[in-house]
Parts: sequence; structure tokens; C-alpha cells
Amino acid sequence: MPNIRSGFVFDECLNSAFLAELFDGDTIYAETVFEDFLRDLPVYWQRVDNAFENENLPVLGTCVHTCKTLFGYVGFTDLQELCQQFENNCSVNRMDDLRDDYRLLTERKEKAQRVIEKEYNRLREYNEANG
Amino acid sequence: MKLSCIIVEDIQIAADFLRKFCEKSDLVEVKGHFLNVSDALEYLDREKVDLLFLDIEMPGANGFDLLDRLTYSPMIILTTSKTEYAFNAFQYHVDDYLKKPFTFKRFQESIQKLQLKAAAAQASAVAPPVSAPSTDTDFLFIKAEDKLIKLKKDDILFLESMRDYVKFVTPARNYITYSTLKNMEEKLIGPNFLKVHRSYIVNITKIDDIRGNTIYLLGNQIPIGKGHRDEVAAKLNIL
Repeated sequence: MPNIRSGFVFDECLNSAFLAELFDGDTIYAETVFEDFLRDLPVYWQRVDNAFENENLPVLGTCVHTCKTLFGYVGFTDLQELCQQFENNCSVNRMDDLRDDYRLLTERKEKAQRVIEKEYNRLREYNEANG
Repeated sequence: MKLSCIIVEDIQIAADFLRKFCEKSDLVEVKGHFLNVSDALEYLDREKVDLLFLDIEMPGANGFDLLDRLTYSPMIILTTSKTEYAFNAFQYHVDDYLKKPFTFKRFQESIQKLQLKAAAAQASAVAPPVSAPSTDTDFLFIKAEDKLIKLKKDDILFLESMRDYVKFVTPARNYITYSTLKNMEEKLIGPNFLKVHRSYIVNITKIDDIRGNTIYLLGNQIPIGKGHRDEVAAKLNIL
């Protein structure tokens, strides 16, 4: 595996110190992971939406748990924490108590998706320029 | 010495990272990746590996269900993003716990620890008897309390796995040796010893009675693991 000391700087809203350690300068692998994130998140989040609509709290918690892991791998460690709280609340609260949190989580998810789309394109350009 | 492993993980990104780290470390060979417990168990019924990277929350059965059904004892590294499972991990005597997402450095620390454990377990294997066994009972020597202690097999009630150690329980006292239950299993092959749970081997001649899925020996209660029930029933002629 290449171990390129990279000059690429991740967006400030990501945990760039963690990403630097996770990818160890391998921007090509980072591009792959970001691409996989953009492919997988909509599929997993659809399950979150379905569980919410069906008011199935245990399944909702499990689906958010899965998305939480994805956010972590692209450096959204704060969003990962938010998902953890929501996941915990799914096992103790009622659906009505979760509606505002769900809305907030969905907004944050959409923002995260836009950031990662941008980062993915930046990584692609960076890797093409330094290939 | 490379460890063989399988990855049981339903999130592809997480599994890919693990595979990549295994290749990078050059200490672990990935034999397979499974998205659920059922497929993993089917593989483990046919093939043995040294190590399992095991997620907990997966579709269908969870990681602990897999551990209940295992019929042998590979090393286990739980990979999860929930810290609430730490207590369960302790109960199942797993070898390490990696909170996702983890870095290569954290992964490497875990694998190196397991490698040392595997090497130490081999080195501290039960020594062969220094004299010929008596005509009535066999015995073995275990390293404990800075000496080799002679134990008559017939005195042993059961053995219990305690992470990096094995506890021998006799009516008189207990002995703790630095080894693995798997190692002891290989040394105690014979008609009287039976593995009834991932963490227990019992001397079947010492069983008082069995109630439900619990074996009673001289006041001790030993659970029968789900993956061992059929074998226990067959061996003990339970009708």
C-alpha cells in the first residue's frame, strides 16, 4: 500500500487530524472510501427514513448505528457522536420525543453528504494532478 | 507467524479497512469476509481460523450469538462502535475490543498483543509427565506458582478459561496456569473430559447432575454453550 506523505488538507469541518492518521497520507485510498461513503449512505439512510416512518424504534436505532459508523470513517466524528446519542434515545424515548432530534440529524446528514461530495471531487482532482 | 482470520462485518467500508490493515501489517491473513453470522458459522463449521474480527450488530443474529454457537475457541477481536458491549466482551473472554473507526496504529497494537499471546501459549504448553503414568490414573504437570505442579486428571473437576489463563478446579483447591483452554483441550483428549462451553471443559465422571443447560459438579455450576449442546447430549447419552 502506498504511504505517500500527502499535501492534501481536508475540509475544516472534518476531523482532519483523525483522517490524517486513518489514511496515513494515502489520498488514493481516501478517494475510494469517500466514493464508497457517497454510494452507501443513501441506501443506509433510506432504511433510517423507513424505520422512522414505520415508527419502529429498535430498527431505527440499529439503522442509525450503521450510518454512525460511516460518518466516522470520513471524519465526521461529531456527527458520529450525535448519532450515538440518537441511537441511545431510541431505546429509552418514545417516537414523539425523537421527532425534533430526527429532523436535526437529517439536516446534519444532508450537510455531511454535501461536504463529502465536495471532498471527494477535491481528492479526485488532487490525485489526478499528483498521479 | 501469520494468524489466519475471518472478518464478520456487514458494513463494507469497515470490512475493507480491516482487510487493508491486515495486508499492511503482514501479520494476518484474511481467509474470508462474511456479512452475517449465519454465513460465518457455515464457514467455521468447515474451516478453523486463529482469529475472528467480529462485529456485534448485524442483520439477523448478532456477534454474541455467533460466539454462543462456536464449537472451538479462536481468538476474538470485537469491532463495534458501541462501548456498551464491553461487559459482554468481558463475559465472553474476548481478546480485544476495537471501537470503529480505528486507526492502523490501534489495529497493529491489538494484533501484536495477540501474536505474543499465541506464542506464549505455545511456549507454556502443558509439559509431558516426567514419569510414567500410574496404572490407575493419568496425571499431568502444569506451570503454576513458579513450579511444575503435578495434577491427577482424576482430581480435576473442570477447567475454566480466564482470558490469558486457565483455572483448574479440584475439590482441594484451584490452580491457575498461563495458557489457553484450546491448549488444554488438546492435552486432555480422552473419554473423561468434555468441552461443554467456549470457556469450560469438565470431567464428566465428576458430574453430579444436569438441570436444563447447567451442569452441577460439587456445588459448581457450569453452563452448557448452545454450540455444544448436541455433543454434550451425545457424549453423556442424554435421552
